[in-house]
Amino acid sequence: MSLKDQVAVVGIGLTYAAPDEAVAVGDLAILAAEAALDDAGLDRRDIQNLAWATGAGDPGGMAAAMGVPEVSFSANLTSGASGAGSLMLAATSINAGFGDVCLSVISFQPIPAGGARTSSAYRANFVAGPGAYGGAMAAAPEDAFTTPAGISSQGATQALIANRYLHEHKVPREHLGEVVVNQRANAGDSLTMAEYLSAPLIVGPLSAYDCTPDFEGGFSAAVITTTAARARDLKQPVVLIGGAVTGGTPSHATPFQMPAASFGSSGHRDLAAPLYEMADVGAQDVDVALIDDDFSPMVLMQLEDYGFCDFGEAGDYVARGNTRLEGGKVPVNPHGGNLSRAYVKGLNHVFEAVEQLRGTARNQVAGADVALVTGSPASIPLSAVILRKA
Amino acid sequence: MTTFEHLPPPSIEDPAADERTQPFWDATKEHRLVAPKCSNCGTFRMPPARFCPNCLSMELEYVPIPGTGTVFSSAVVHEPLTPAAEGHVPYVAAVIDADGAPGIRFVSNVVDCAPDAVEPGMKVQVVWHDVSDTLTLPLWAPAES
Repeated sequence: MSLKDQVAVVGIGLTYAAPDEAVAVGDLAILAAEAALDDAGLDRRDIQNLAWATGAGDPGGMAAAMGVPEVSFSANLTSGASGAGSLMLAATSINAGFGDVCLSVISFQPIPAGGARTSSAYRANFVAGPGAYGGAMAAAPEDAFTTPAGISSQGATQALIANRYLHEHKVPREHLGEVVVNQRANAGDSLTMAEYLSAPLIVGPLSAYDCTPDFEGGFSAAVITTTAARARDLKQPVVLIGGAVTGGTPSHATPFQMPAASFGSSGHRDLAAPLYEMADVGAQDVDVALIDDDFSPMVLMQLEDYGFCDFGEAGDYVARGNTRLEGGKVPVNPHGGNLSRAYVKGLNHVFEAVEQLRGTARNQVAGADVALVTGSPASIPLSAVILRKA
Repeated sequence: MTTFEHLPPPSIEDPAADERTQPFWDATKEHRLVAPKCSNCGTFRMPPARFCPNCLSMELEYVPIPGTGTVFSSAVVHEPLTPAAEGHVPYVAAVIDADGAPGIRFVSNVVDCAPDAVEPGMKVQVVWHDVSDTLTLPLWAPAES
């Protein structure tokens, strides 16, 4: 059973809280859900399905807090799934006939001002073992084989994968710089290549610019989906889910034991073919790409994994301007992405894709009919979705 | 006891071993490098998990390997990634392909050289870090040619 064009995104909502604002994470999620319902022209009593990735709390609890009268589907994805994966689960629940209107949400606990560890470079990395981060002792017998290496942050993991990739394909740091400078420019921030290259490294090849700044304050993003048929009667131009996939190769979940051939990759390689096949499009049809970008090297690797260029060629591809807003073949993250804003686990990429396809984005890509949104290159399930204008 | 420059702070002083992993740490105490391998199908597995992902056997043995290898990837940690790492940077985190144990990698550190000199493809050999009475860690240093 294919999901192709069966379900539409009809409402999107984003809410923010200032660092000193006393708002609970669940309250922010409800505010975002209200905004998304309002955007769709629907009411909380229309919600039947609740489906999202991890990190946004319990769907049932939120339904109760929002006064949703009856729930017919309620589920979370596991592990590394993010915003794109939420849409797969939402579309699956609607397509299977469990209910017509699905809420997907992601929410982050407000971080007090100055409380952030500044960037994803320092974010705790559970693959290095639960004893690795601040704990004195290894928690499991296996941990002693990884924790002593001092790789207890996501930045260290990413750096090890990135350095293999850069070495194998002789990619200079200027090519990572192009990813960063381009996205910063999209966000209205004039970072120069010279400034990028002179920033001190945190863990080579990553400087603070290659990592995602922590968000001070709180935020939540919500998406409302419904059947394509019902979407036609609602407020907004219809944005269809052309295809949605989750999955990946489990061996990438064992730290640094991946096959040599795919070590320097995003792990998304397995998802691209089934996604494009389901949506009946190819990389050449994608008008705008929202690429998960917690770390700049992963943007290059995903461009390859999704077939925008050959393996090892993404550095040259971006250096030639192919991903720029002005004159690029496939503008990447025209909203600036996580690298320019904050870590928001993918639903902000969905938000931007929907705005692009509605034609209402701040940095609108002319003639945007097909958008690719990818989820975090993390432990499986990875996720990706094709959205298209009806 | 040898001390090393450019090493992260000790995150553990005991391997918290069980019957499955203790033979590895018994060998490192004697400065011998061994690799965990499925006794049923012969597939190396790192870390030495309960089940072999290739055949699901729980049988495990440790085979001697020469202690030489190649840096598959490395990263110089310039900023302390945790508060405990203050004063311990820079150090080199590395993933090592060890000779004699195809298909697995050791996650470790490269020492005894300038951190910036380490890069993928570099030939290395094991050196021993006696951390405590119960823990000796294999580290890696540039191979003597």
